[in-house]
Amino acid sequence: MYVQLLDLACGALLLTAVLVLWRRELVVIIRVFALQGAALAVLVGVLAAHENSAELWAVALGVFVLRAGVLPYLLRRALAGAGESRREASPLVNVSASLLAAAALTLLAYAVSQPLVALAPSAATQAIPVGVTVVLIGFFVLVTRRRALSQLVGFLLMDNGITAVGFLTTTSVGLVVELGVSLDVLLAVLVLQVLTTRMRETFGDTDLDELRELRD
Amino acid sequence: MNLAATGMAAAVAIGLMTALIAALLPARPALIGTGTALTGAAAVAAGAAALAGGSFSVVLPDVLPLSGVSLTLDPLGALFVAVTGGVAVAAGIYSVSYADTADLRARGVQTALPVFVVAMVLVPAAANVGTLLVCWELMALASLVLVVAEHRRGPRVASAGRWYAVMTHLGFVSVLIGLMVFVAQAPDDSFTALREAGRQLSPAVAGVVFVLTLAGFASKAGIVPLHAWLPRAHPEAPSHVSALMSAAMVNLGVYGVVRVGVDLLGGGPAWWWLLVLALGAVSAVYGILQAAMSSDLKRLLGLSTTENMGLVLIGVGAAGLFASSGDHALAALALTAALLHLVGHAAFKTVLFLAAGSVLHATGTRDLDALGGLRPVMPVTTAAFGVGALAASALPPGTAFVSEWLLLQALIHGLPAGGVAAAIAMPVAVAAVALTAGLAVATFVKAFGVGFLAKPRSDAVVDAHESPLTMLAGMGVAAVVCVVLALWPAGILPAVQAAAGGVAVSGDVILRLDQVTGALSPLLLALGLVAAVVVVAGVVRTAAVRRVRRTARLWDCGGGPMSARMEYTATSFAEPLQRVFDDVVQPELDVDVSHHQESRYLVQAVEYRRKVPDRIERRLYQPVLRLIAAWGRAGRGLAPGSVHRYLGYGFYAVCGVLILLAVTR
Repeated sequence: MYVQLLDLACGALLLTAVLVLWRRELVVIIRVFALQGAALAVLVGVLAAHENSAELWAVALGVFVLRAGVLPYLLRRALAGAGESRREASPLVNVSASLLAAAALTLLAYAVSQPLVALAPSAATQAIPVGVTVVLIGFFVLVTRRRALSQLVGFLLMDNGITAVGFLTTTSVGLVVELGVSLDVLLAVLVLQVLTTRMRETFGDTDLDELRELRD
Repeated sequence: MNLAATGMAAAVAIGLMTALIAALLPARPALIGTGTALTGAAAVAAGAAALAGGSFSVVLPDVLPLSGVSLTLDPLGALFVAVTGGVAVAAGIYSVSYADTADLRARGVQTALPVFVVAMVLVPAAANVGTLLVCWELMALASLVLVVAEHRRGPRVASAGRWYAVMTHLGFVSVLIGLMVFVAQAPDDSFTALREAGRQLSPAVAGVVFVLTLAGFASKAGIVPLHAWLPRAHPEAPSHVSALMSAAMVNLGVYGVVRVGVDLLGGGPAWWWLLVLALGAVSAVYGILQAAMSSDLKRLLGLSTTENMGLVLIGVGAAGLFASSGDHALAALALTAALLHLVGHAAFKTVLFLAAGSVLHATGTRDLDALGGLRPVMPVTTAAFGVGALAASALPPGTAFVSEWLLLQALIHGLPAGGVAAAIAMPVAVAAVALTAGLAVATFVKAFGVGFLAKPRSDAVVDAHESPLTMLAGMGVAAVVCVVLALWPAGILPAVQAAAGGVAVSGDVILRLDQVTGALSPLLLALGLVAAVVVVAGVVRTAAVRRVRRTARLWDCGGGPMSARMEYTATSFAEPLQRVFDDVVQPELDVDVSHHQESRYLVQAVEYRRKVPDRIERRLYQPVLRLIAAWGRAGRGLAPGSVHRYLGYGFYAVCGVLILLAVTR
């Protein structure tokens, strides 16, 4: 039961990451991102039930509130403020190529995580490659998406992946650490949101390639 | 605790205290200058005590992580400590008034001066590699701060600072690698352990260590072809700093070569020392030739430093060559000559740079073509520069004369000693020393005659005034030392021979070479010269008195009263030399003749421009600089300003590393 729930949560994590690559509408992407936050919370909850730890339950709740509630809300607000075309204009790499890349990254993550898994084989550590894949896909989104908002999603995707790997490897990261990391992420999102707004006010767009003129 | 240890402790304590005061309190050049001079005095006391037989060593394992600080004063190090201290005394006294300008009152500059002196005093006292390298780097950084102290004067100062920073750090890296290779062969990094290990080193490793450290130390000593920083940094630094750098810091390059090559590696094959000899000879001739062409007073002095360090290296190289062929008596003589020249150079270069600083202070220019006529307005500075110029000229009764005479004796007597290599190298070295001596005379006659005598060539000189008392005192101390060294070198010879590790010269008034025939008495020679001058003057005087005295205008070819424009300038004085050495210096000449409108046969004006570029620099440095610039331009292509590109670099790097991990594991 525990293993199946764990695998289900991890599967949801991976699927949502790939969906972010696939879909082009920003509204949908944010919804998918919220879904991924919920999956992450479920993952932590499953681990909490297995460890029977109250602290971990609290963390799971915190993760849910932050990643499925606050962050998507902030993103949606930024999008509403934008009032621009809601569709992601055109990623630097088209969707089918992105999906192929995601497959390659998944393979890479599995190949690289083998020694980590071999250190202490268990149901939780078996799922480490999924976390690494989410990190890599997040990085890929960060690199290939034009809009500041979708890059923000990429950044948060990476953070979700890192958190997942953290919980899968050590089971209990500790409330304080998780709290610190979450606050960090929240702060980063707020700052980036302000930056996005300022960029739009200054340049009328949030296409990061417009920043090219700023060098030197 | 003996006197040497007390002196070292006092020098370091006073120096650091002075630096602390300079860093925390508002600028007080008088206090800082006095503190620096006291630091120097304590260092002189420590060095003298150690040379007299009271060596000491101390280990402080907790001061530096990993290696700890370890200090020892053996005779070789003590000589350099004493010389550095002596220069610091003169420069410290001098800086009391000289450093009282807005630029030099800056807190960082005031702090760097005592730190620089302390670092220079500690370098020759270091007894392990860690201490040596830390002090070496501290010395480089402090001197860099001082070089760029007057950066508001113009972009040339910043450029000089960049050259100095880059070259001194490349030199440091070279020394670092060399010593690390050496330390890897020894149980720890103390000099005692290295001395043991140096005996069992394989020839290849020893050669690598020697060549790497030689490159680093030679760049500090301003040896061709690593001299490019020296004629830039020495003129642009404040003059008391120029004196410290030129008279004390460059010596430590020689110290490094002797310490590593002779002491730690225990001599070595003949090719090492032939290399040193060749570098020295090329530096001596090239340095003085460039100095002879220069019309910037401080640049001239800086290039003359390259020359003198070259002469010292000729001595060191000859000593190593003799030692490798087993002739230890001649080796001691050559090393004694080299170290004596180094001491003498420290004395006269201090005087010369301080006097040049005094001229700069009074007139605001270093351009010899704009100076002249300083004797009536600045008599003491003129006298001090005269003493320094005579000392540098290798003519009796001068300081450099004694040491160069000893050097020549060693080289000449070295002919039968060392086989084919020596048989070829020695006559060439003798020729190089002789040529250098001749060119040095011309150079310093130019510097003194054009810079100080005759009529003033610009308004700056007319408004000049003699410098404040402390500046004169600083120059005076060094000038007195110059005179003493010139007339009574026997006073310092025991110390120098203790450092050289062998007695080759004895005698008090008359110096006698112990192993080979040769004797010289600088004092009697000087007295004889004075007597001869008096006699000649007397004879001329009595002959002149017999005639009827007539007052008339000087013959001026009917061109009206002689004006300053008819005088020899520095450029015109050097012109014959430039012609002789045309192929070597390859000057860039530009002569513009403009004619009168009315007639093509009447010349209205002639404009003459001459530039003497540094050929070695052009051939050796320009390609490297171009390469680096091209590399930089290629690097700019990597940074087009696209955020995605930058993120992509990170992404591809992470993926690349992961793939590498996945594949290689």
